Amino acid sequence: MKDIQATRDGTDRRKPLWPKLLIGAGLGIAGALCGYGVASLGIGSAARWDDEVALFMAAILIAFALITAVTLMVRPRDIPKGCGVLQVIVLGLAGVMFALPIFGPTYMDADLVFGLVAVLLALQSVANVLLWRAADEMLRRVMAETSAVAFWALQGALFLYAAAERLGLVEGITAWGMTGILMGVYLFASVIMSARRGLS
Amino acid sequence: MNNRLKVLRAERNWSQAELADRLGVSRQTVNALETGRYDPSLPLAFKIARVFSQPIESIFTDGD
Repeated sequence: MKDIQATRDGTDRRKPLWPKLLIGAGLGIAGALCGYGVASLGIGSAARWDDEVALFMAAILIAFALITAVTLMVRPRDIPKGCGVLQVIVLGLAGVMFALPIFGPTYMDADLVFGLVAVLLALQSVANVLLWRAADEMLRRVMAETSAVAFWALQGALFLYAAAERLGLVEGITAWGMTGILMGVYLFASVIMSARRGLS
Repeated sequence: MNNRLKVLRAERNWSQAELADRLGVSRQTVNALETGRYDPSLPLAFKIARVFSQPIESIFTDGD
């Protein structure tokens, strides 16, 4: 039997460290520029908490999209791109959709911003369906498990919060705030489920 | 569930990407199968058996 170390894909061989350092440095610079850009847009300490959550989600989603895009670009050409391009589109559009209701009204009417968000949501839904169809069985399993875990966690939390609100123990919460929290829980569940299969 | 995927692939000198291509799945899925992080569906298990020309039970064994 041949030594598994000798397989041609080189998965068991030690890889050079410099690409990771380079990507890390690039991401650090991108993060700094992102922070500077957000700060210059005037979102400061006076911002609503639900806007801060949404902005955080937008930054994470766009960062994930950029990391995936860079990974696809630096990957050897003989490795298939798989569902990567669709994942970049889905993540990027979700990030933009979270940022638009915050920054959009500065530049255009609220009606127009809402129309734009609706169009982007439709596009993202199509991309999501295409991603599901293009995915193999393990990626589909990860997506299904992520959805199940996120639903289970969120419905429990929502019920508890709703009961506390009905009892007058806590303040009401905006739909915008709930959406930000939902995305945060979904992303966290996604990272955990992906890691279990060795995808992240 | 345990499997001999990595050994069978090495015997044929196939890369993970090559095997993934033959199975119609991603390289990450092949990696997850080999490291025991993912158990395949029955259709994929049959496909794996066909690709290696071996019965399923000689590739996959119960983990107990």
